[in-house]
Amino acid sequence: MPNALVRRLLLPLAGSLATYVLLVGGGIMYATIGNSASDGLVTQMLINAIVVLGIQIYIGNTGVLSFGHVAFGAIAGYAFAIFAISPERKAAQIPNAPFGLAEVDLTPLQSSLIAACIAVVVAFVIGMGLARSGARSGAVAATVITLALLFVVHEVAKNWIDLTRGGKTGLSFSPLGRVTLQGRGWVYLALLLSLVAARLFKETKSGRLAHAAREDDLAARSMGIHPAVQQMIALLLSVFVVSIGATLRVFEIGSINPRLFFFKYTLLTLTMLIVGGRNSVTGALVGVVVISLGSELTRYLAGPSVELPFLNWILRNGLTDVFLGVSMVGFMIFRPDGLLGSWEPDHLVIRRLAKRPTGHLSEVRQIQNRLQQDHLHATEVVVDFGGFRALDGASLTASTEEVVGLIGPNGAGKTTLLNAITGLVTPSAGSIRLDREVLDDLPSHLIAQAGVVRTFQNLRLFPALSVEENIGVARLAVAGHIVDRPQPEVELLISASGLTELRHRRAGELDYGNARRLELARAAAAAPRFLLLDEPTSGMGDLESEEMIHRIREIASLVQAGVVVVDHDLNFITGICDRVYVLDQGKVISVGTPNEVSLDPLVQVAYLGGPIGSSN
Amino acid sequence: MTELLQQVVDGLGRGGIYALIALGIAVIFGVMHLVNFAHGELITVSAYTAYALFVAGWNWWLIAPAVVLTAGLTSVVIEFVAFRWVRGAPDFTMLMTSFGVHFLVQAAFVMYVSANFRQFPRPGWIFETWKVGGVSLEVFDLLVILFTLLTLGATYWVLHRTMFGMSLRAAAEDFDAARLMGIRSDRIIRGAFALSGLLAGVAAVFWLMRSGQAGPTAGLSPMLKGVLAALIGGLGSLSGAVLGGVVLGLAEVFLISYLPESLVGLTDGIVFLFIALLFVFRPQGLITVRRAERV
Repeated sequence: MPNALVRRLLLPLAGSLATYVLLVGGGIMYATIGNSASDGLVTQMLINAIVVLGIQIYIGNTGVLSFGHVAFGAIAGYAFAIFAISPERKAAQIPNAPFGLAEVDLTPLQSSLIAACIAVVVAFVIGMGLARSGARSGAVAATVITLALLFVVHEVAKNWIDLTRGGKTGLSFSPLGRVTLQGRGWVYLALLLSLVAARLFKETKSGRLAHAAREDDLAARSMGIHPAVQQMIALLLSVFVVSIGATLRVFEIGSINPRLFFFKYTLLTLTMLIVGGRNSVTGALVGVVVISLGSELTRYLAGPSVELPFLNWILRNGLTDVFLGVSMVGFMIFRPDGLLGSWEPDHLVIRRLAKRPTGHLSEVRQIQNRLQQDHLHATEVVVDFGGFRALDGASLTASTEEVVGLIGPNGAGKTTLLNAITGLVTPSAGSIRLDREVLDDLPSHLIAQAGVVRTFQNLRLFPALSVEENIGVARLAVAGHIVDRPQPEVELLISASGLTELRHRRAGELDYGNARRLELARAAAAAPRFLLLDEPTSGMGDLESEEMIHRIREIASLVQAGVVVVDHDLNFITGICDRVYVLDQGKVISVGTPNEVSLDPLVQVAYLGGPIGSSN
Repeated sequence: MTELLQQVVDGLGRGGIYALIALGIAVIFGVMHLVNFAHGELITVSAYTAYALFVAGWNWWLIAPAVVLTAGLTSVVIEFVAFRWVRGAPDFTMLMTSFGVHFLVQAAFVMYVSANFRQFPRPGWIFETWKVGGVSLEVFDLLVILFTLLTLGATYWVLHRTMFGMSLRAAAEDFDAARLMGIRSDRIIRGAFALSGLLAGVAAVFWLMRSGQAGPTAGLSPMLKGVLAALIGGLGSLSGAVLGGVVLGLAEVFLISYLPESLVGLTDGIVFLFIALLFVFRPQGLITVRRAERV
């Protein structure tokens, strides 16, 4: 396996440069062989590419659908115009500009950077709001907040006449038309920087943690990831890039009005992003090229130079917008991940360089210091759902040197107890401690960092990430937060869970058994002191669940974690557990070795409706 | 006091229309977890239908039922063409699809009709007022309130007294469980779209009586108001959506009457700002209905 520097920095950088050369080279070629209009088209396309790359940084990495990025573009665009238009021209357009802005005279470069900074400051405020609203992939509240931003900015731009000259005319650099953006030098530079920033962000810690949260917010939190921080970083970077693109757009057009950054531009940029593949930086660029060419083609076909009588019904004005709408809906229905999915050119090389598995587990096993024994205590935990008491004073103690089972009839409160321990539900009474550390009021991600990590009954992997990334991101999430214990190597966990052959597969493509093993390995990657497993063998056959006993024991001893396991399969529980707690109606009714509890008459009543009589 | 009463009636008149639109959005959200940003296109289609029928010489009494039926039918067609394929898809895909449909229908109207708005005559009586004591009330508002109540009553009857309605509510409560109990998801979803379309149709009649114009973006404003109202009410909740519509209508009327002259142009902007703040602090809306996700 090539090392992290090569994999996460050098190869992506090389890939981005290659893409850049292709894109810019193609653009220049088109501009040279085409007519006079094609020069402007190429400029527009490259500027749109910057804006779309900016949007990709946010939507691609976090999965939050934002309509606000075009609004940030509008803020930056107006700020840019107000700073950069010369005072004489401003005197003619906005003589009453507030804050003495009418006298400001800055160069375009200064204006652009200041405008981007202003947009970033606004983005910070909006980002706080988004975090407060619990933004996550597909969250409606976040989408509505960004949509509201788009409208509010539009309304303000239309109505704050003193500052923006209102909606009818807008602000213009020169009454004589374009004399503004000369040459494409700045566009080339900004595009290169945006591309590199977007591509490298995907490989940063923030980017990778954001991907996990994008795939499954709840699972990410349970692995020790706090998505709001990563989303904020993505937002600020993304708004900066979008803003630079927006100022270039304003400069190129030579004027700005409220319609320039509103629904139409939102549709255009989002379609570009969706078509190419929102999770891929290269995809974003592919989308820009495909949609730009498609738009040009439809515009040409609908124009006066093409006469095809039998196609009159479709070759008419407005075809371009229909093309955009059809592309967006079509891709969502038939290929929601876009043309490229999350593919990047450097992936080609990385897969090729990946070495074959390095020997068996026993060879890689590191010699570790024995960690001190820890205890997990859940004491008298009460959980109410409305009027229903799901847990009624249940207590459980486990040590890092044992496997504790948790069984009971349906609705006994087993999963609820795991949820209470991992902070997914808030107990109304009772306490949860990891040795002396109180976990009661901690959010999920801090509980995970403290050393209690779980798996889920209904499997919650990060489906679009590879097997290796699933494990890697869990390891990354707690790196730096834990000091008292070593983290297992990703390699080691992959081979210990028997997934070596599948390491580059997307987790969403795994079959049930492998997915369960991956979830176990992912949990172990966070170097937990306690692994909480919710029905790790559900859906498995006898043979597979037999094998799972060994996997769990092996992986738990690898990270020296205690195990608390919920399951229905009594053979499995008897095979793996040192001690078993039996829950019924929210209370612990019996504790002991598997053998002891199976003979407890109370347990027999709970399970079978009556004690097993002397008849057998 | 009389002024207040007038404002309340005005607000309820607006709010009634919003409530009908929001209810349709909530019904669809209930059965397939889709926030339908294309819901406004039903009103766009209604507007063009009304315009075409006017040109053909129909009057409002015939146009109104035609508009309601067209909206219902369009809703089913949109489901069949687009939303059917993204059932059960991730939220992001569904959101994006509904926006795509929204843009696509608009673009189609620009292409085949015109980007310009077409005017048609509004019924003569909509500005008439009715004096009770010292209070003058707009007949139109009273009519909207009356028809909103009738429509809500009919909807309530459908939801609570018919097999279809009960299945729909069951599906909205817990879709998987409803399917396991043998409720046909296909039929429920199609029925939900039909119901939601009919509700939008009733709202469209009143919306158009007031606006008197048809254009590609005619549905944008009612759609946004409807989505906001449904969100205020907490999306999954049907009664919440109705309440959200009324709250939004009243809020707008009071904002317009108490804002200083220079800020009236910003009414929509201010409403949006409030909504954004609401979602920052209560992302689930005013009424929380969605139970915690099962893990």
